[in-house]
Amino acid sequence: MSEPAGLTVDIAARLGGFQLRARFQVGRELIVLFGHSGSGKSLTLRAIAGLLRPDAGCISLGGQPLFDAARGIDLPPQRRGAGLVVQQHALFPHLSVRDNAGFALSGLPAAERRARVSRLLEVLGIAGLAERRPDQLSGGQAQRVALARALAPRPRLLLLDEPFSALDSAIRVGLRRELARMQRELDLTTVFVTHDLREAYHLADRVAVFDRGQVLQTGTRDEVFDRPNSARVAELTEVRNIWRGQVVADRGGTAVDLGALTLRATTALPVGAVVDVCIRPERVLLLRPDRPGTETPRDTVVLARIVDEIAHGAVYTLFFRIERSNAAGHDVEVDVPAHPYEVMGVRHRRDWALAFPREAVHVMAGE
Amino acid sequence: MNGLPAGVRPRLDLMHALLLPGALFALFVAAPLGALLWRAAAGGDLLASVQKPLVRDALRLSLATSLLTLVVVVALGTPLAYVLARARFPGKRLLDTLIDLPIVLPPVVAGVALLMAFGRRGVFGGLLRGLGIELAFTTTAVIIAQVFVSAPFYIRAAKVGFQSVDVTLEQMAYTLGVSRVRTFFRVTLPLARPAVLGGVVLCWARALSEFGATMMFAGNFSGVTQTMPLAVMSAMESDLFAALALAVILLAASFVVLLLFRIAGGRGE
Repeated sequence: MSEPAGLTVDIAARLGGFQLRARFQVGRELIVLFGHSGSGKSLTLRAIAGLLRPDAGCISLGGQPLFDAARGIDLPPQRRGAGLVVQQHALFPHLSVRDNAGFALSGLPAAERRARVSRLLEVLGIAGLAERRPDQLSGGQAQRVALARALAPRPRLLLLDEPFSALDSAIRVGLRRELARMQRELDLTTVFVTHDLREAYHLADRVAVFDRGQVLQTGTRDEVFDRPNSARVAELTEVRNIWRGQVVADRGGTAVDLGALTLRATTALPVGAVVDVCIRPERVLLLRPDRPGTETPRDTVVLARIVDEIAHGAVYTLFFRIERSNAAGHDVEVDVPAHPYEVMGVRHRRDWALAFPREAVHVMAGE
Repeated sequence: MNGLPAGVRPRLDLMHALLLPGALFALFVAAPLGALLWRAAAGGDLLASVQKPLVRDALRLSLATSLLTLVVVVALGTPLAYVLARARFPGKRLLDTLIDLPIVLPPVVAGVALLMAFGRRGVFGGLLRGLGIELAFTTTAVIIAQVFVSAPFYIRAAKVGFQSVDVTLEQMAYTLGVSRVRTFFRVTLPLARPAVLGGVVLCWARALSEFGATMMFAGNFSGVTQTMPLAVMSAMESDLFAALALAVILLAASFVVLLLFRIAGGRGE
């Protein structure tokens, strides 16, 4: 269970009516705690930082316990070696950028402190702001200072609580790239809390999906996003095409009967099992219906009609109703990049064939 | 100009009408102060009066006791204010109210209460005598009386100041490895400084003007317990000009206090 270089969290806490049960493990990499606000991910981060005391369980870093309810261990935040960055930056308003960044280094000789702070400010591209006060900084600059302040004492663990959520999207993307770079260079264990799926995709080595105080699934980014372990995780990670069905035999393989459509899919679950099946909107393929030979033994192809669409700029979301379906609204969402959308003339054609590649169709045990 | 929206002119008229009672009140405050200054100036050399033993002793005693009071209040009141601002515990509201009580309590009552507690025949009088300590009618009693009545002004202001500092900032300092005590001095106190300084100024002013409780608990002994307000009263019977000199000094001190308070609050106009 314990991995010497990483962080292990296994805690339970009750706060008012809220029950938190967080459990995950991560090495020297970045784990994203993903979930809606109020799902317990920030509380978990505070517990790791030592700002919130769980009722039970343990937290250990590099094999050393930070918290262990059974053994009565509860290191104060000062001794956990965890750098923290929060959404509202929480810089000390009475101190300059330089003094904020060097706040943890007061024990060092002045010359060394100065050198270390200057280097950090340089790395983060804010060397020119050293003498400014926090109220003279933009949101993005303030967050860079907050990051410098957290990294200055060379923490063993970096904790980030929605650090970029209050920023404009262009600045957000830039800071994300920088964080990813620094994370690789510093070789730190990093815990990143966010409710932004794109941010999670960009940064995560691993993901823990939080919902109502519980961790529903942990794993590598691709495990969690491509192979959710339940319909709820699929829903939270915005898979958008999730159906309930039953496993049936199909030409020596398996498929899932959804009523209007039978999807060929690989599953170890027995024939007759009730399952949830999902496919990401960008994994569904759009084919010309008049082209012969589109039907393959591997994948499912069905005729469908566009009933609605939304343009996002780089991507179009198309809402399809399957030919034999009697659903009131749409059955399938498909994301098509702008270029194929134009080239294939989707604007002028409403009837299409949809292909569901077998490897993209993911089957989950129904509850 | 008829372009003005309806209602603007009548309101201006109302403002003019309100000026009259306002001016009357300003006059009511200014007239006695003006009279005091005028009589003091007309009476002769103010500096010479300050040389009189009664005035000099009272001045020295008032300065010494009020500053010592300030030291005691800040040393003991600051931790208390911080606890009241941050901690949650049963009986906190009761404690809060108890600490504020001396603000509204008549000072004479405070003096009687102190006498009943620490006086020769007070509840703890016997115990103190057993330890060889005599409090009532000493300079120490002056300080005790001043602390009793002036501490709430400081504690209250400091508490509000500490409450205004975001707890997240303190927690940030903790995660950066800085101890709670050092965090207090490096984060909380600097950010609460305007409020805390305001409290210091108010507390000192209240200690300097303390009369009733001192009179009751410490008495009116020249050079030992006769602070400036008590000296003013005594001098009124013998040496009006000395009384005027003391009064003018106290008035000037009050004015400086008010100025300092404005500066500390950062809201001076």
